[in-house]
Amino acid sequence: MPTAVEPRTETQHSLPAKNRAVAICGPPNVGKSSFFNRLTGLRQKVANYPGITVEKRIGSLRLEDGGQVDLIDLPGIVGMHPRSEDERICVEILRGRSATLPRPAAAILLLDSTNLQAHLRMVPGILGLGLPTLVVLNMADELEARGGSVDTEAVSAQIGVPVVLASAVTGTGMREVVRFLQGSLAPAHKVELPVINNIPGERKWAHSVAAQSSYHAPEPSLWGRRLDRIFLHPVGGPMIFLAVVIAVFQSIFTLAVPIMDAVESAIGVSAGWIGALLPDSMLKGLLLDGVWGGVGSVLVFLPQILILFLFIGVLEDSGYLARAAVIADRSMRAIGLEGRSFIPLLSSYACAIPAVMAARTIENQRDRLATLLVAPLTTCSARLPVYALLIAAFIPERPLLGPFLGTRAAVLLALYAAGFIAACGTAWLLKSMVLRSKPAPFVLQLPAYRWPTIRSLAFRLIDRSKIFLRRAGTVILVTTIVLWFLASVPYQDGEPPPIGESLAGSIGRTIEPLVEPLGLNWKIGIGLITSLAAREVIVGTLGTIYGMEADEGSPALQQALQAELSFGGAIALLMYFAFAMQCMSTVAIVRRETGGWKWPAIQFGYMLALAYSTGFAAYRVFG
Amino acid sequence: MPSTESDSLDRLPPGVTAVIAALDFEEADRVRLMELGFIPGSSVSCQRVVPLGDLAIFQVEGTQVALRKDTAARITLQPSSAARNPDADSG
Ligand SMILES: Nc1nc2c(ncn2[C@@H]2O[C@H](COP(=O)(O)OP(=O)(O)OP(=O)(O)O)[C@@H](O)[C@H]2O)c(=O)[nH]1
Ligand SMILES: [Mg+2]
Repeated sequence: MPTAVEPRTETQHSLPAKNRAVAICGPPNVGKSSFFNRLTGLRQKVANYPGITVEKRIGSLRLEDGGQVDLIDLPGIVGMHPRSEDERICVEILRGRSATLPRPAAAILLLDSTNLQAHLRMVPGILGLGLPTLVVLNMADELEARGGSVDTEAVSAQIGVPVVLASAVTGTGMREVVRFLQGSLAPAHKVELPVINNIPGERKWAHSVAAQSSYHAPEPSLWGRRLDRIFLHPVGGPMIFLAVVIAVFQSIFTLAVPIMDAVESAIGVSAGWIGALLPDSMLKGLLLDGVWGGVGSVLVFLPQILILFLFIGVLEDSGYLARAAVIADRSMRAIGLEGRSFIPLLSSYACAIPAVMAARTIENQRDRLATLLVAPLTTCSARLPVYALLIAAFIPERPLLGPFLGTRAAVLLALYAAGFIAACGTAWLLKSMVLRSKPAPFVLQLPAYRWPTIRSLAFRLIDRSKIFLRRAGTVILVTTIVLWFLASVPYQDGEPPPIGESLAGSIGRTIEPLVEPLGLNWKIGIGLITSLAAREVIVGTLGTIYGMEADEGSPALQQALQAELSFGGAIALLMYFAFAMQCMSTVAIVRRETGGWKWPAIQFGYMLALAYSTGFAAYRVFG
Repeated sequence: MPSTESDSLDRLPPGVTAVIAALDFEEADRVRLMELGFIPGSSVSCQRVVPLGDLAIFQVEGTQVALRKDTAARITLQPSSAARNPDADSG
């Protein structure tokens, strides 16, 4: 409860020399991470809906005087009464009760200047912590563009701490912020804040502070209303959602193809050079079949992944995603979850790991558990290379809806739908059996619509490429090299053995009986094992195996697959990848978030059983 | 039409503004709803009722918030505080 507040203005002048940690706090979606990124040069994830940051993140800033400040980006809070895990993390750190961080030396309270009356309510609670505080009124650019204004001096005079109007996007006001961090910002006159210990009282106080600071609220945005009318329309809303999704999948196949061809031929040409340059040796084999064949065949899929992320970026930055959650609430409710679970589930289209963490924003612990258990069933981007490869090899392209939807995009769409349906079905099972709970009031704040900026979309793509390339350079590279060695021993008469007789081959044959019921042979079986590290590793593994097998150069991976797999086997393999938890990092994160091995073990077993049985059925049906 | 007899938030028609009187929830839920803007004394307007669903979107304390009907039903409004909002979206 906020009580008497005594801002210690005298300590504002110098932060302690050793501990110069400054916490950035404030309500959700006010731009804390954007502000943090602007000051530290880091790329903490930013998107236009509440609940993006669920974990503290520390970044440092060098000051002109040679000193250094550690800034802490925190999850958003709406008051000092945390309910969900992410809010708890924030409040614990602010109160100095965190096990991992000392109490910060100062705080920056970020508020949205376009909604000042409401946000000022946070001030007494934060000042009550007794830390030197700077209040930043962010989104100055929007305030001005929509015709609002505020007298920061007047706000400061009433709350007793310095106040700066700033914009994390345009950089306005950042100089004052840096001066605060250096301790050279003039302190405000000390004020005794009234003792308030109830929210209606805080609201009244906040409104009166705003009124006495000649605060003019900006005009409500008209086009925001209009967009809501379209996106939340009874028929139009869901139709638009569907159209957006179809457009994404179709462009994954059409737009990406020329770029993929270019990447593929670049890899082919460079492999040719190496082939011509190096004498025949083990190293050459390792480079060509192991590295180029393995890592190269995964790299080809980068353009498709980037297209997916471009669309996700537009959806996240515009504020549309929160509307989609509203539309989805009804179906979420039917399976026993709340609409809030939809956002972590959607974000697992990128990757299950942030999705499992995003489940922290769900207050109800049982709902949170159900959400993080089903999240890995939705189709993450690591499945995309596997899907794209098999679809290109086995599904002939034919138009279904003119140029708008072809067979390949339709199959991809069906696979995504299968993952989503499996996630929903599993959630329903969990919620109606083991994780029953009493529904809590459902509240979802909708962010204002914003234009996605080219800059932020470009950063998203660059960051995603880095992640992808890092994975290619670590997990995929290492597994393909290990595989290449296993496939090159034992030597027979001083020559590497035919792959079927190598160590890899005998391991493969040992497990073949397990994968045979799915119509798969031992080579794919090896891929299923290596891809436990990460799903796209199977593409690299097959690239290496087929590359080593071929006498003359590497045949295109697609042709090799067509020769080895029946149509039914291909569908079975797709089913297996749709449902199996082929990702050790996800297992690890679920263990961390649930605090033990029990849930990840159940999850892994359940998903494996689902994958195996649907694969088996698919092979039976499609032959 | 201004429906002055509507006494809980779920019955507030789109385009009408009223003042919140009380919240009938257990303490923790009540605090959370107040932290999100549903504070006794705040004006609230219903912006739209979401298709097919039992959700409605409200404008309160400067933010847009989606609430389920059953939650809204437990938020009572001050009698005869309802007034037609001139610039509200009635469609
Ligand atoms: N126009 C404008 N937009 C901003 C500004 N600062 C942030 N944004 C946008 O506001 C949205 C939210 O920004 P974030 O930095 O993710 O906000 P956050 O406070 O970290 O959000 P949570 O981590 O979810 O609590 C993004 O779409 C940003 O691009 C600003 O100063 N001006
Ligand atoms: Mg953030």
